[in-house]
Parts: sequence; C-alpha cells; structure tokens
Amino acid sequence: MSDKIILLVEDNEDDEELAVLAFERSRIANAVVVVRDGQEALDYFFGTEANGGEDAKVMPQLVLLDLKLPKVGGLEVLKRLRADPRTRRLPVVILTSSKEEEDMLTSYDFGANSYVRKPVDFNRFADAIQQLQMYWLVLNEAPTPGGDRP
Amino acid sequence: MRGFAQSILETVRHPLLILDAGLRVREVNAAFYHTFKASEAETQDRFVYELGGGQWDIPRLRALLEEVARDGGSFKDVEVRHDFPHVGVKVMVLDAHRVVHDDGTPMILLAIEDATDKMQGIDALCKLNRELDDRVSERTAQLEAANRELEAFAYSVSHDLRAPLRALDGFSDELLRCYADRLDERGQHYLRRLRAGTQRMGQLIDDMLLLSRLNRGAMKREPVDLTALAEGVAAELRDREPDRTVAFVIEPGLSAMGDAALLGVALENLLGNAWKFTSKKASATITVGRQNHEGAPAFFVRDDGAGFDMAHVSKLFGAFQRLHTQREFPGNGVGLAIVQRVVHRHGGQVWAEGVLGQGATFHFTLPQEELI
Repeated sequence: MSDKIILLVEDNEDDEELAVLAFERSRIANAVVVVRDGQEALDYFFGTEANGGEDAKVMPQLVLLDLKLPKVGGLEVLKRLRADPRTRRLPVVILTSSKEEEDMLTSYDFGANSYVRKPVDFNRFADAIQQLQMYWLVLNEAPTPGGDRP
Repeated sequence: MRGFAQSILETVRHPLLILDAGLRVREVNAAFYHTFKASEAETQDRFVYELGGGQWDIPRLRALLEEVARDGGSFKDVEVRHDFPHVGVKVMVLDAHRVVHDDGTPMILLAIEDATDKMQGIDALCKLNRELDDRVSERTAQLEAANRELEAFAYSVSHDLRAPLRALDGFSDELLRCYADRLDERGQHYLRRLRAGTQRMGQLIDDMLLLSRLNRGAMKREPVDLTALAEGVAAELRDREPDRTVAFVIEPGLSAMGDAALLGVALENLLGNAWKFTSKKASATITVGRQNHEGAPAFFVRDDGAGFDMAHVSKLFGAFQRLHTQREFPGNGVGLAIVQRVVHRHGGQVWAEGVLGQGATFHFTLPQEELI
C-alpha cells in the first residue's frame, strides 16, 4: 500500500464508484479520497473558513478534477489551486465527459497538466485510470508540495 | 400664329412656362396653374423667382435659367427637388430651350414634369425593399439563433447521456467479471447484450456530437488535394482489413476549394461506405473520379457492392436512416448525413445512384478554384 493520495473531485455517484472500481482493478494501490463538489475540494486544500483554514488536509499526489461540479466549478477550482503557492505545482488532471474544444483550451490555459475524456466503455475508462495512476504516481517526478526553490 | 402656339401651350399636359430673356413670365399653361396652385394674376409678368411669394426662388434653377438666357442652348432632364410652402415637396424634371419669338425676341421655354408621384413611388419601393431586407436579416438572425440553441441543446443532451451510459457499461462489466460464477450462460449472454447496446448508444451519441460539430466552428477555404485525401483513406482501409481484395481506382489531380479536415471526414465516410458495402464480394472495385454534370465538374465515389433500390434514395442522406439491418451491414446511419452536411457547408450538392446488388455511386460538387 502506497502512502500516496489521489484526490478525486467527482459529483456523480456512478462515476465515483466506477473510478473507485477502476482503481481497485489496478495493481498499484493508492488511497483515493473523494470530494463531491468544488467547495469541498477547496476546503480540502485550504481548510474551511469556519476553522480559519486550520483543517486543511494532507496534500495529494494527484488531483482528478471533473469540470461540471456543484457550487464551485472545476475550472474555478483549478484557477484557485494555481493561484496558491501551496498547490501551484500540484498535478491536476481534468477528467470529464466534455469533449468541448473550449473546455479543453481553458483547462490548459488555467494550468491543467492533462485533459482526459471519460470513455463510455468501462474497460477503456479503467485502462485510462490505470495509465494515469502509473504515469503521475510512478513515472512522473513531482515536486514537494508547496516547496520553494532553495 | 400666336393662337397656334397658344393652343399647343394649352394642350400640353405638363406645366409649361415661357419666359423672356430677363426671366419674366410671358406665358403659362393651365397645367402649371393646376399643379402649383397658382393664378394668372400672381404669375403674369413676374420674375420667375417671385412666383408664389418667392417660392420659385430655387438657386439651382436660377443658375440654370440664367445660363440659358445668357449663352443660349438648352438643358434637359434636370431633376430639382423643392419644398414649396404652398404645395409641399415636389420633384420636378425640367427641360428648357432658348427659342426665338416671331418678332425676333429670344424667349425661354421651360417645361416641367411633375415627377413627384413617380419619385414617391420609387422612394416607397426603396423603403419597402429596405424593410424587406431588414426583415430578412432579422428572420435570418432569429433562425440562426434558434439553430445555435438547438445545436447547444443537442450537445448538452448527448453529453449528459454519456454519464448514465458509463454506469450501465461499467457495472455490467463488473457483474460479468466478479459475479459470472453466480450467473448461468443465459444470464451472462444478457449482460453482454446490455454492454453491447450501451456501447452502441455511446457510439450513436458520439456520432450525433460529430454531426452537430460539423455545423459549428470556422471553415477554411483553401485548395484541397482530394486525390491525396482519398488515397490516404484507401490506405487506412486496406491496413484495417488487409485480407480483402479491393482495387481502388483514384483519378489523379482531383482538387477543390474547401476545408481539408471536413472534406477528409466526407471522403472517409464515402470510401468507408464503399468498403463496407463491397465486403460480401470476393473482389471489388472502388472508383474515385470527376465527371461533368450539367456543365460543371462533379466528383464521384463508385463501388460495385450491395447497392440500393432507388425507391429508397430519399432516405439515404437522413441522419440515423438505414437501408440495411445491423446484421447485414453494421452502422449508425450517420455517415451519409455527415457527407451531406460537409458538402452543403461548402455550398455544393450531393446525390446518389444505385442498383440493388450492383453497386452505388455518390456524386458531389464543390467550389472550384478558378471560380473563387
């Protein structure tokens, strides 16, 4: 069991369960934390206002971010992550059903690391999840979260 | 002789004035009095500029008349628009001639055509045309807006439809994977059918999205090498099924003005169809070329495959319309709808000919380089 955390920001219950299934099928076991809207995602990183930000959680190694989210949309979440030094370099992969060119371009403009469209075919979806996991948590060298240049 | 001239003057239906060299009014006909609501008393022997309380003091007319009085000669078809305080706006077409009276004195004959009604008619027509233009552009804008809305609707619907499909496909896959031991052969068969149906619907949705995207987005207009595009598609088809014996006969030098990406999609569908509908033959020929059609060049893609009955030709280009069952030839019925959209967006036409069991030919026209 790896101690690396994957944060999944997903409001659709089915998609959440499918993603978890896909993670279970992969050989690398990571802890998957699920948050269900954009506000919850922001609270995860920066803590809640009620607690003065004291309750921010452990930084994940990878964020899988849906675009269509209740309360705060995925693009807004991405923008806020990139604006904060603690999460500026955090790998964020957009995982969406949108094939809209506009969504893709904006995501990249806002600093997304990848853009992956959820396929209908579950085998292909599971394959995509495994590849993402393999690339971002095994192959890719990530900077220390929030770390500054020496 | 004076009586003779007088009779002519009175008979002419248009207003007429005869002025002396000093531009004083000598003779006036009834048509003038009638048209300009003037009386003899206020007209005779007056300067033309004084007529009707100075309302004929029109700078342009004055300049013209003075020129004729001084230098002789004439003017013709001079249009003067003037707002007469007593009779309103009149549009007049004026002709003037310097003539010599019996007694040798020079005179100026000024003929006035009251073109007000005619001009008003033309003005009204112009206004009507403008209004019509405005209405057409307004309706066009409304139609375009409605169309955009519809496209956006189709887009978001097909988008949202994908999510439950993923669930259907994913969970039935999980059932097959982890619970197969608790399902008999028949149960597993149904699950597989469920997955196949789900994936087919996913494909349909993707095709619908593609179709709606074809109408959106900018379109390029550049020279496109259709021969190269067709050869590329043919090579791809051969790679996919290398065991088939299909001869491609592609005419060299086919070109048109258009969007290479869109035309590539159209050719993929036309050649893909030809490839598919010849699949039941041991060997087949697919021809791509150009012919003259009603004096203009038209491209064609011909195959010697399953063909179709011309009785159903009207259904051919409709989206999701099919002439064959899935079992005979798989497909969504979107390919030719895509071809039609691409060709129409280029301002061309597309039509088909077929004979059941003998093959089909698809013709299409595209803008040519020299015409642009």
